[in-house]
Amino acid sequence: MDNDVTNYSVIGRIGEGAHGLVFKARHLSTGREVALKKILIKNLEDGIPVNVMREIKALQLLRCKYIIKLYDMFPRGLSLVLVLEYMCSGLWEMLHHNQQELTLPRIKTYVQMLLKGTRYMHAHYVMHRDLKPANLLINHEGILKIADLGLARLYWPDGGRPYSHQVATRWYRAPELLYGARFYTEKVDLWAVGCIIAELITKQPLFAGESDIEQLAIVLQHLGTPTEETWPGHSELPDYHKITFPESSPTPWHELLPGVEPDALHLVKSFILYDANKRISAKEAIRHPWFQNRPLPATMDEMPKPSAIKSK
Amino acid sequence: MFSTSTQRKFWTFSDETELARLREKHNLQYISKHGSNTDEYQPYNIFLSPEEEGLLLKQYELHMKEFCKRFSPPMPKGVVGTAFHYFKRFYLYNSTMDYHPKEILATCVYLACKVEEFNVSIGQFVANIKGDREKASDIILNNELLLMQQLNYHLTIHNPFRPVEGFLIDIKTRCTLPNPERLRSGIDEFLEKVFLTDACLLYAPSQIALAAVLHSASKEQENLDSYVTEILFIDAGPDKLAILIEAVRKIRSLVKMVENPVRERVKIIEKKLDRCRNQENNPDSEIYKRRMRETLDEDDMPYSGTSRMSLDTSGVTQVLSPSAS
Repeated sequence: MDNDVTNYSVIGRIGEGAHGLVFKARHLSTGREVALKKILIKNLEDGIPVNVMREIKALQLLRCKYIIKLYDMFPRGLSLVLVLEYMCSGLWEMLHHNQQELTLPRIKTYVQMLLKGTRYMHAHYVMHRDLKPANLLINHEGILKIADLGLARLYWPDGGRPYSHQVATRWYRAPELLYGARFYTEKVDLWAVGCIIAELITKQPLFAGESDIEQLAIVLQHLGTPTEETWPGHSELPDYHKITFPESSPTPWHELLPGVEPDALHLVKSFILYDANKRISAKEAIRHPWFQNRPLPATMDEMPKPSAIKSK
Repeated sequence: MFSTSTQRKFWTFSDETELARLREKHNLQYISKHGSNTDEYQPYNIFLSPEEEGLLLKQYELHMKEFCKRFSPPMPKGVVGTAFHYFKRFYLYNSTMDYHPKEILATCVYLACKVEEFNVSIGQFVANIKGDREKASDIILNNELLLMQQLNYHLTIHNPFRPVEGFLIDIKTRCTLPNPERLRSGIDEFLEKVFLTDACLLYAPSQIALAAVLHSASKEQENLDSYVTEILFIDAGPDKLAILIEAVRKIRSLVKMVENPVRERVKIIEKKLDRCRNQENNPDSEIYKRRMRETLDEDDMPYSGTSRMSLDTSGVTQVLSPSAS
């Protein structure tokens, strides 16, 4: 087996996660480009972090075109190195540096890939719990893949990407999590998917709170004060009684997302629901009319190929 | 799913001979590596024989069972099962003379806690260990990566506990057996013993679960044969049924044969092990301490990148020399 650092030629540092550095490297015998994610263990009190275990277990289980691949692992000194598929870009980069590339047909194709990956994860009883543009990477062929299952995300060498701010972001967190729910379902991922779709269309985060409390305030202000009907059981959530917000009535969706086509609004609001049980599943969402209506989703030929863009 | 798992593909063996062959191979490998100065006709005057290694491991499996049973906070069954799988897998490819079972035992349980999401800190964990706890925690953390590597990073374990629940639900809905819940204590007792055998390296978790259910039923003077043949396996065909019946029979006989090793014998083996064990892996030896220091120094990733990162790597064609490792 090729599990030794001598089988790779390390090309450079491409990022930093919570537990160590990420390198770009080439696998010598196949020429394949990979990302080496090095997890430093020597300074960690409890040894290999549980979230690293989770990521390994999840990636070993999930074999899907739309989920990043874990090729191999090897120890190096007191570190564990994960050999992952190399992804040269991501949705975060597209949103912040190549916005003009994000046309509606291409957005539809990215969303289809995101939904297929999510459907696959959920079919295997894996919830991601941290879906956001920064965790949706894009390879040189333009294929979007879900990454960072339980571990810190990569950042990419595009200059001033505010890493610490990214860690703190709560913009994609479902309201039950904001209220401290201990028991929740894979539907938290679908709230995040809804936020991501809205952001891709408008190029603005849907709910951009600077703190947990502000995040909740923004969600409540737009969706209206929850009732027993719109959100059964919400008043029993752990943190519900810790804070009260002013009564508000829901903002109509066409005001919240002005200029967005009705079919897209319909899809987004099928995800952004207080009641997790009513949120549309990834499997159902793939069949949503938005994908059949014009403009049709872009073909793979029409999708941006990130490395090609960079080398121009 | 078990059918597509690494457990089935890499860690389920065809028979006991295959297991014996693997264990013997690593026993011999150790001796040939470390026994250049010994009488080649009587290596076992100094080294452990495969049989002695087997007895030693049996003893440590009993220790592991006790350790898990007394663990505080109470440990879920799944953690115990997973720890046993890890322990057995590790010693299929390693000799006890290379890695002392008392150290691997604790590491297996610790890793199993993490993988099964039974979250205890290392401090909480070693509070359950007698003796020098700081040393214990160093040993566990130093061995964790080694263990993962030796398991080939196959961390997910399919234990028989879930299939047992499935059978009980099925029996309640499709079978006329009165009060199936009374089978539980017999099942638990059987599964505790099953982990002292090689059954989990030879059979599917569902087969082990069924053996436990059938064993418990017969203890309760009940017979579930017609449930198995007429309900559970009604569509399976006679050859599949025959395989299953044979597996169940074999698992039950493995459990029946479980016996504790003789204390005195194990004591002698332990003394012998102290003399023939690999000092490089003995946390008390100088050579081990030196190696740990070296590992700490080695812990850098060699790379040829510039300090300013750039995606433009067209100029980077250099292949790094592996000098740092």
